[in-house]
Amino acid sequence: MTETAAQTMAEDNITLKVSNVSKRFGDFSAVEDLSFNVKAGRVFGFLGPNGAGKTTTIRMIVGITIPDEGEISLYGSRISQEVRDRIGYLPEERGLYKKMKVNDQLRYFAALKGVSQKEADKRIDFWLDRMKLSEWKLKKTTDLSKGMSQKLQFISTVLHEPDLLILDEPFSGLDPVNVEFMKEVIAEIKSQDKTIIFSTHLMDTAEKLCDDIILLNKSRKVISGSLREIKESYGKNVISLRCKGGDNVLEDPEIVSNVISHADVKEVFLAEAADSQKLLERLVTSGAVITKFELIEPSLNDIFIEKVSN
Amino acid sequence: MQKFFAVLKREYKKVVFTWTFVITTLLLPLIAALSFVLPMLIFTIEGDSTRIAVADPTGKIYERLRDNLSSEKIMERAKKAAEDSLKNIDPSQEAQLKRASEQLGGNFTFVEYNAAGKDPEQIKNELNARVTAKQLDAYLLIPNDLDGKDAEIELYSRKAGDFIVNSTLEDAVNSAVRSQRLADANISEEALNLLSRKVGFVKKSITETGKEKEDATSPWAGFIVALLIYVVLLVYGQSIMSAIVEEKETKISEILFSSARPFELLMGKLVGVGLAGLTQLSIWIVSVLVLLAFGLASLVASGIEIEMPYITPPMIVYFFIFFLLGYFIYATIYALIGSMVTNMQEGSQFALPPVLVLMLGLYFCFAVVRDPNSTLAFWVSIAPFFAPIVMPVRILAEIPPFWQIALAIILNIVTILGLTWVASRVYRVGMLMYGKRATIPEVWKWIRHS
Repeated sequence: MTETAAQTMAEDNITLKVSNVSKRFGDFSAVEDLSFNVKAGRVFGFLGPNGAGKTTTIRMIVGITIPDEGEISLYGSRISQEVRDRIGYLPEERGLYKKMKVNDQLRYFAALKGVSQKEADKRIDFWLDRMKLSEWKLKKTTDLSKGMSQKLQFISTVLHEPDLLILDEPFSGLDPVNVEFMKEVIAEIKSQDKTIIFSTHLMDTAEKLCDDIILLNKSRKVISGSLREIKESYGKNVISLRCKGGDNVLEDPEIVSNVISHADVKEVFLAEAADSQKLLERLVTSGAVITKFELIEPSLNDIFIEKVSN
Repeated sequence: MQKFFAVLKREYKKVVFTWTFVITTLLLPLIAALSFVLPMLIFTIEGDSTRIAVADPTGKIYERLRDNLSSEKIMERAKKAAEDSLKNIDPSQEAQLKRASEQLGGNFTFVEYNAAGKDPEQIKNELNARVTAKQLDAYLLIPNDLDGKDAEIELYSRKAGDFIVNSTLEDAVNSAVRSQRLADANISEEALNLLSRKVGFVKKSITETGKEKEDATSPWAGFIVALLIYVVLLVYGQSIMSAIVEEKETKISEILFSSARPFELLMGKLVGVGLAGLTQLSIWIVSVLVLLAFGLASLVASGIEIEMPYITPPMIVYFFIFFLLGYFIYATIYALIGSMVTNMQEGSQFALPPVLVLMLGLYFCFAVVRDPNSTLAFWVSIAPFFAPIVMPVRILAEIPPFWQIALAIILNIVTILGLTWVASRVYRVGMLMYGKRATIPEVWKWIRHS
């Protein structure tokens, strides 16, 4: 197999390709030179603090706005009407017509995505049943609770059976039971070989759901790749530490790059060119009393805080 | 296109399938129908016959009066009056006239009374006693000398306020006395009718193209049309604005914009709501036309004089064309405002200028009705923003040359194209701007850059 052929095969596997994209609003730069790929059949975590540029990027992907620079391609072609119909987008800002009946509302959103009414009716019945909303079919949307309208909004996102699902903070406003329920539904959709982009600032949720991630901060990419690999790369230089004293050692930038304090343990990120043995030695000689010293794989949350606070 | 129709369908159904729409659509024809039917109803209620005695010492008037108050004679007179105002009467209208006349004729029961040789005081005493005893409702006192200069016929009645009975009686008595005088002078009634026949007076105006035209339109039809257009444009414009503000407030626009092009969404909304307006207006126009055809005859028969507006099919076509032009102009302006503001309160502040322009158009209509060929009438009836409300009024008052109508249509279509071009740009950006109202310089930037 030649190198170009291998490359083509890899390209085939890519659902979304974002290349050197920038977007500015006046003097404010919302997204700066952003590039990443989303692979087919994976759950892709789109992570970052509020205001990092997540929603702006998503809006460019779904074709609501156009990048100032760079290119976005979906299934190998530029964003067009046909390609857009393959996306299901659940925006962070949820919106439903309050006075419309649940059934009519879903029919309308399906029609906007080009689904025939007959087909839509079948899928509406299936999904309302799946989401336990069947008895609300002929009720007005105003009568629904917040959690129920969230679920209704989700149905409207998947009715046209999109190949790419973009979910912006899909669990906000849901109670824990419904969060678990929605995770189940998302896993089910993933098992049908669909690609899911999952945008959130909740790291522990992302950690449980995502295969790949990108971390944005202040309009730029901070880190990206497979969640497994990223965590492994941190696995050699994070220590879970419980000790008394030794504060001056932990403040030494030559050995320690960052410390995140939890209730009774600290997570210590080693500086580059430092190793755990050296840290242990320094702590012992400084007279610190060590009750726990363990090399660990950091949580995504810790990586996030470490990267964002730097 | 498929998405455009999806939007169109939703917007149409959203307006038409509501109680407000059904009620307002049916209310207008209902009011119109009532204004025709009510006079007829009142007639039926007042069908209580008036018992009347005629004290006629001369013995010459009574028979003629009685004859004049028969339904045939009343019908004859009503028909003549109706012919004057309606031009031609169809069978159903004639039947209505007949019914109304029979009702009127049956209003009188004659009570025999012999007045020969009695002096007026004695007659009055006798008849007053019968009125007090409720055997009689009214009586006519006819003087001995009818031809005297001060001859007066007196009506004494328990119901002196019943104007319909009074006027019918007065007509009949006058006509009876006149016939008697003619007979005394040896002139036959036929000869008199021939001699005293009215000469026709037809008003014809000369149009600007030099053609003559029968001027038969009364101004009220023009005002009603102007008012109707004014109200419908305002109501539907405002509803477009509130729909757009709702989509912005509830952030639905985000989903909509990820599914369809903003232009499709905007046009689907404008056309959908426009069709709903057209539906309502068509129902109104058709029902008013039907009512005019059937109801006018009964009004005339009841003695209410009304002039039939002169309406031709092309006028109705023009009316719909100009309504649509006006709708797209004002709905687009309201859509533009809706995409700039963040809530309805802000929206209604911005909505004032278009309302003022529409009101100005309404005032221009008065000038146009008075003189449809003036320079002012020409300019305001072709001008963008004004033409949709002024031109239909002018057409009703007097059809202007075709090139002026065509010019008005073209100018307003160009205006609509310009407005939609601007509105679709503002809509695209404005709908995604949350939390803050757009300033005019910002909007200007959106228009230029997108």
